[in-house]
Amino acid sequence: MMSATDIQIAICGSAGDGTIAAGDILRSVMADIGYRVISFDVYPAEIRGFGKCIARLRITTQQAYSLKAKSDVLVSLNDSHAIAHAGEVRDLGAVIYDNRSIVQIAEGGHISGHLGAGQLPYPVPIRELSEKSTGANRSRNLVALGFLAGLFGLPVEAFQKGIAGKFKRKAAVAEASGAAFLAGYERGARTFKLDDIRFGPPAVTSVPGATVEMINGNAAVVRGCLEAGIDCYFGYPITPATSIMEKLAVEMPKCGARLLQTEDEIAAISATLGAGFAGARAATATSGPGLSLMAEMLGLGVMAEIPAVVFVSQRGGPATGMPTKTEQSDLNMAVWGGHGDAPRIVIAPTNVEGCYRCAGKAFEMAEAYQTPVIVLLDLYLSNRYETVVFPAQPPFEPDMNRAPEAQQLREGYRRFGPADDFISPRALPGDRDAMHVVTGLEHNELGRPNDQPEMHQAMSRKRHEKLRAALGHPDFTHHKHFGDEGRVDVGLLGWGSAFGECLEAMFKAQAEGIRCAAMKVVMLSPFPTEAVSAFMDDCQAVLAPESNYQGQFANLLQAQVARPVHKLARATGAPMKVEEILDEIRRLAGREMGPGSNLHVIGM
Amino acid sequence: MSALSHHVVIGSGIAGAQAVATLRARDPDARVTMITLSALHCYKRYDLPRIFRGCRDWRELLAQPPSYYDDQRITVRRATKVANVDTSRGMIQLSHNEEIRFDTLLVASGCRGHLPEELADYKDLIHRFSTFQDAMTVARALPEGGRVIMLGGDMLGLDLARTLIDTGHRVTLIAGEHTFWPHPVTVEQRDRLMGVLHDMGIEVVDGETVGGGIAAIEAGPPGMPARRVVFRDGGDRYGDIVMSFFGLVPSVEFMLGAGLDIERGILVNPSLRTTDERIYAAGDVCQIWSDQERSYRFFYGWKNVRAMGDIAARNMTGAAEAFVPAQDEGLAITPEGQIHSPFWEYE
Repeated sequence: MMSATDIQIAICGSAGDGTIAAGDILRSVMADIGYRVISFDVYPAEIRGFGKCIARLRITTQQAYSLKAKSDVLVSLNDSHAIAHAGEVRDLGAVIYDNRSIVQIAEGGHISGHLGAGQLPYPVPIRELSEKSTGANRSRNLVALGFLAGLFGLPVEAFQKGIAGKFKRKAAVAEASGAAFLAGYERGARTFKLDDIRFGPPAVTSVPGATVEMINGNAAVVRGCLEAGIDCYFGYPITPATSIMEKLAVEMPKCGARLLQTEDEIAAISATLGAGFAGARAATATSGPGLSLMAEMLGLGVMAEIPAVVFVSQRGGPATGMPTKTEQSDLNMAVWGGHGDAPRIVIAPTNVEGCYRCAGKAFEMAEAYQTPVIVLLDLYLSNRYETVVFPAQPPFEPDMNRAPEAQQLREGYRRFGPADDFISPRALPGDRDAMHVVTGLEHNELGRPNDQPEMHQAMSRKRHEKLRAALGHPDFTHHKHFGDEGRVDVGLLGWGSAFGECLEAMFKAQAEGIRCAAMKVVMLSPFPTEAVSAFMDDCQAVLAPESNYQGQFANLLQAQVARPVHKLARATGAPMKVEEILDEIRRLAGREMGPGSNLHVIGM
Repeated sequence: MSALSHHVVIGSGIAGAQAVATLRARDPDARVTMITLSALHCYKRYDLPRIFRGCRDWRELLAQPPSYYDDQRITVRRATKVANVDTSRGMIQLSHNEEIRFDTLLVASGCRGHLPEELADYKDLIHRFSTFQDAMTVARALPEGGRVIMLGGDMLGLDLARTLIDTGHRVTLIAGEHTFWPHPVTVEQRDRLMGVLHDMGIEVVDGETVGGGIAAIEAGPPGMPARRVVFRDGGDRYGDIVMSFFGLVPSVEFMLGAGLDIERGILVNPSLRTTDERIYAAGDVCQIWSDQERSYRFFYGWKNVRAMGDIAARNMTGAAEAFVPAQDEGLAITPEGQIHSPFWEYE
């Protein structure tokens, strides 16, 4: 019986080497063939000629949740960058590199001098093959990709189709790329294989009526927006959120929706609230710096009880920070940021499918609870590709607005009138018999300014209490338990993009005999305190891994449940490492470990 | 030697592997680098026939596990070709244009199989047997019970022939003047040895008796074995594989511009030092001055080669010792009627 395929490939080069493009083609082709793919690209903020680019793809036949710490294959398109990553290749893994250079290299400047003793070298005349097959060296990435495909016996036709598709508007580039790929492929197919890497047959996912797509987080957000019936989008570009607007700009006009690129983020959120006030399903997307600019208007959205959806793809901060590096450091800003008592709904998907579901559900929640909803993504999630099975029918309600009933209108419409669940009926501008005032000032039930102490207290309560219902929002995964049931040695509490690594670490810990469970928390505000507390009841120790320095999620946990939590907070600009989480699980489970725990316990 | 010394060994055969071990033991602080064309670490080439007994995992052939080199702080530059050695600057130029400085250098680059000029046109139809890859290629191409046509037949080839017969394959040996290379044999001994080969189950065809040798090697026609060897007298033999064993040629091309004395191999004195005092040579690549024979000569066999690697490394690190041959070179027929070569006495 053929064993399951689980192969991670890293392609490393300099900006301009075509590193990301090669990864792009490989990703598309492997998904088309029927493998599951998780991939994540790291690239510099500069456009060309400077920093390091790495495309990492994990190709599997079974569900995977994160990239692996060790790659099976490393392709070097630029040794000066790839040398630092040679150590990331596992023993018996393959390192593919150019064995020619047109410049003199000082000792130690070639990757062949940095291979681990257990790694297998595959020297290839990459530049030479590119020049011979295309007359130029620009197609080195395709030669390397071809070599890889040939070495591992991947179907050449699928790659030819993928290359043709990638460059369909550039016939000359497509031709050269195809020739370069073939040159590499032939060389790879002739090369004697020494590694133990084997691609088994793909396990094609087939769900009746569903579509299987390999898609990244931002594209999944776009799909969720479209299927939820987005009417208006207003945005200002910022990495890593920009591609949401770019994709929506292509798709929204096709379904009669409108998109406007505004002059800044303040205008974007203002317009989004304006459209939401008018009854449209409206959204904007930004990153941490943009969220700061939107803070004031989010307060208006809370005060005026206006639906709006704000996608925030986090990146390394503060300030300009690290625009092309990932981080989960805007949680505080999303949950707490802003003036006044301004509660809002904050949800954070943990994978690409979650991006789709959270995007669509965010419109439902914004409408249902009449408030801004922040969807927290991050660069790792926005740019990460995964194979996702999309349902045949969109799982989103097209309208969740609680419109006033006729009797309420006859009795005199009160926009902010009392309700058992604190959610008042919401009429839209122009609705007959529903004229009302909406303002940023504190107001009475009619919406008219009122700063009396009792009124402010009552309205503050209303704005907070109405969000409780969001914890029971239908058909939405607010949190989910994985792993062992009952008493466990270690429980992982994770959120956002880091949860995939938590899950992988949990599976490994279980395989080592450690009783381990994990809970993903998607709903971050309002916080599902009861469920999280129940989970913690069963845990000997609780570990909260996350990609920021402060341990913002652990702090949020503390604020909500006031129980001991072990922080594992990392601000490296890179995704969490499964092995690092696993090491801490082992320590907490009392396994023999060397010195050097990275944990910081809070709440003892 | 000083802590900053950099000892470089070119080649990862038995001589090279022994040398780096000795260098590390004698000079713990020095940098030790081994450069090899092979993608694998040192493996037991004499064990390659084991592949026909089912050993298909190269890890089982390694002389040391890969971690050994990390543990010993020996840098191994695998799959790396030396372009030339600049003795004036003490630099080794690699084919990918990287330069490596050396303080002392040992050339232990070994040999490759010799293919006579008259067979050069057929090289694409002839399988080699020098590396793990060669051996695996043969093993994959040779069907169960298949026939190997062995051209020449030196002691490496005859060693393989023993295994092939043992594993149910058939062997046709096209014998020539160097069939028992590197053992010198008389005409009378040769005839007796041929008889022993025949008794072992090898079909022996004397190349001299088939019209003066081989006229052509062809791909077999459909439905027939993959190869056809045609003799000058019109006769032929079919086999699944054709392999050549005509002795070894030292791999010295990259040293040709280095200013060392080179004949067929690199010429060294009994201390294995070349005409450059920083550069030594060991193994099949070197010819050692023999006071007794008043000439330079090769010494074969893994025991000799290993001893050379050790002596060279010792001398690179301050000793002054001479190489003493470590094994006899006599070819014999055992009382049981088997051929016995001391070169087949593997560890």
